[in-house]
Amino acid sequence: MNLLEAFRAGLDDARTNLGRTLLTLVGLTLGTASIVAVLALFGGAQSLSQDILSEIGGAGTLVVRNGEVEGASESARARASRGLTLDDARALDTLPGVRRASPTSTASARIESARDAFNASIEAVSPAYLTLNDIEVQYGRWITELDLETRARVVVLGSAYAQSLFGSAAAAVGQEVRLGRERYTVVGVLAREELIVAAWEGNALEWRNRRAFIPITTHQSRTTGGDEVATITIAIDDPGERAAVEARVAATLLARHGVRDFTIGGRYDSAEEGMEYYFVFNVIFLMVGVIALLAGGVVITNVLLASVVEKTREIGTRMAVGASAGDVFAHYLVQAVLITGTGGAAGVLLALSLTSTMRALMQFPADVTPLIALAGLATATFVGLAAGVYPAYRAARLDPVEALRYE
Amino acid sequence: MRGIRKDYVLGRVSVPALRGVSLDVERGEFVAIVGPSGSGKSTLMHILGCLDSPTAGEYLLDGVSVAGLGGRERARLRNRKIGFVFQRFNLLPRIDLVENAALPLRYAGGIGRAERRRRAAAMLDRLGLGDRLDHKPEELSGGQQQRVAIARALINDPAILLADEPTGNLDQRTSAQILDLFRTLHAEGRTVILVTHDPGVAATAQRTIEVVDGLIRADSGAAVVA
Repeated sequence: MNLLEAFRAGLDDARTNLGRTLLTLVGLTLGTASIVAVLALFGGAQSLSQDILSEIGGAGTLVVRNGEVEGASESARARASRGLTLDDARALDTLPGVRRASPTSTASARIESARDAFNASIEAVSPAYLTLNDIEVQYGRWITELDLETRARVVVLGSAYAQSLFGSAAAAVGQEVRLGRERYTVVGVLAREELIVAAWEGNALEWRNRRAFIPITTHQSRTTGGDEVATITIAIDDPGERAAVEARVAATLLARHGVRDFTIGGRYDSAEEGMEYYFVFNVIFLMVGVIALLAGGVVITNVLLASVVEKTREIGTRMAVGASAGDVFAHYLVQAVLITGTGGAAGVLLALSLTSTMRALMQFPADVTPLIALAGLATATFVGLAAGVYPAYRAARLDPVEALRYE
Repeated sequence: MRGIRKDYVLGRVSVPALRGVSLDVERGEFVAIVGPSGSGKSTLMHILGCLDSPTAGEYLLDGVSVAGLGGRERARLRNRKIGFVFQRFNLLPRIDLVENAALPLRYAGGIGRAERRRRAAAMLDRLGLGDRLDHKPEELSGGQQQRVAIARALINDPAILLADEPTGNLDQRTSAQILDLFRTLHAEGRTVILVTHDPGVAATAQRTIEVVDGLIRADSGAAVVA
């Protein structure tokens, strides 16, 4: 009996045990779908993480922060170092290879309008912030050099803040808010930012809509009255020259401060951390898929073993009319592969429809590539082979005389 | 067939089922093997049918020594040279009559599905079942089922038709029809071997071999065949 015949015989059996076969198929389908979908989502997430990295600056930026002076006591450090200042930022801004240097400080303060009041996260920035951070002013204007010089009491609101304080983003411009004890004029509202990685995780960028921006000089005078800043973010002209620019920045600051009281780092560390979580999450899903497939395989082994026992006399009959042990072995193995292959194919289709739905609804770049589909199908088929070997062996080993006598 | 022994090992004890059987069956004979249950007649039939190998002795089927053959070769012999008819018909319940009758052709290899179905249909038609080709076995009476089984046994045009209590599950009238069918097949030149404990059935054959306690006790002798 050739392979086609074994295939047909296996198909006959699968069809006659339709209920059992279908139940087994469900498990296999879900297992394969889960594996394929995870692979597709993970591929999508990786391309997405590249997007996120370039969105928030990635390789083209350096972040200078205040740091500890090694080997110096707290008081010695305080005497020796003033920390990063607005003047440092201005000095770094003129260095060759630096496109913009953007000084920032962060704070939180109670923000209040006639309509709402809450504790807001405040970013004290210079005009350079806009170019470094890929944000967009939808209504009104951004913070200007003039605002900085005059220490103007102006604020630019993130869209979520504008929404809750004034009911709509458009209505906010020109209004006044109370920030702490002072009155600020809303001069601009940012465009809403949205990035859905997974529906259950909501808008991954919502925190960016929940910020208020004020001129950094205004912030300085309402707090310490000095000119210190928390961080200076530097955009590099050519990311390839990152190391050279970093050395130049360090040398400049060292010359200005006299001590190394700062650290220079990248900006994407936290984004990579997020991807690690995502990775772990996906590995768990992948394992669930693999376990579902294994369970499906065990069920198939069980179903086939039961079928071998149930059909002992039938197997004996087939042997009597000329089926060799090999024919019987092929019969059962093909049956197993047929079931898992079908389940695998259905799983791939299910994963395809799942990921395309995700793509359509959430703009998530998940893609079932031919390679991933093939991997899913191959895994399912392999499970079938592994699951079928033992029952097929049991069937093939039957003694025809005993089998014919079997009640 | 010379000096056939068959021992079954049960635990540590070796139980002889056949204790040295020698037998010649000529082409075209109609033989009945009779004996009480446990006499070894079924074992003899299994060895004749290449379902089992003897522990000792020699068996030539159509001039080919069978005793030393492996499983694959014996399967091939069963497929080509032997047609089995069982007491309980042993039809596969979920496929139609044509597929049932065509089953040996499947294992013979090299015959397309359409050709297999055509030949099986022709054989069923010959045995008077031409109007029920697409029925399932359970939709038939016992006699009809046994005719399907006979069609299956004949499909590869075997040298020997081996029937194990072929009328054991049939009523008298139907039994008579089936035995008539065996007579007809014999008249067409086939070798037919019936295994039965029913003397009435055995009387249909030309030659009766009685097996008792693993030995041949009586053999009415080969009838002269033209």
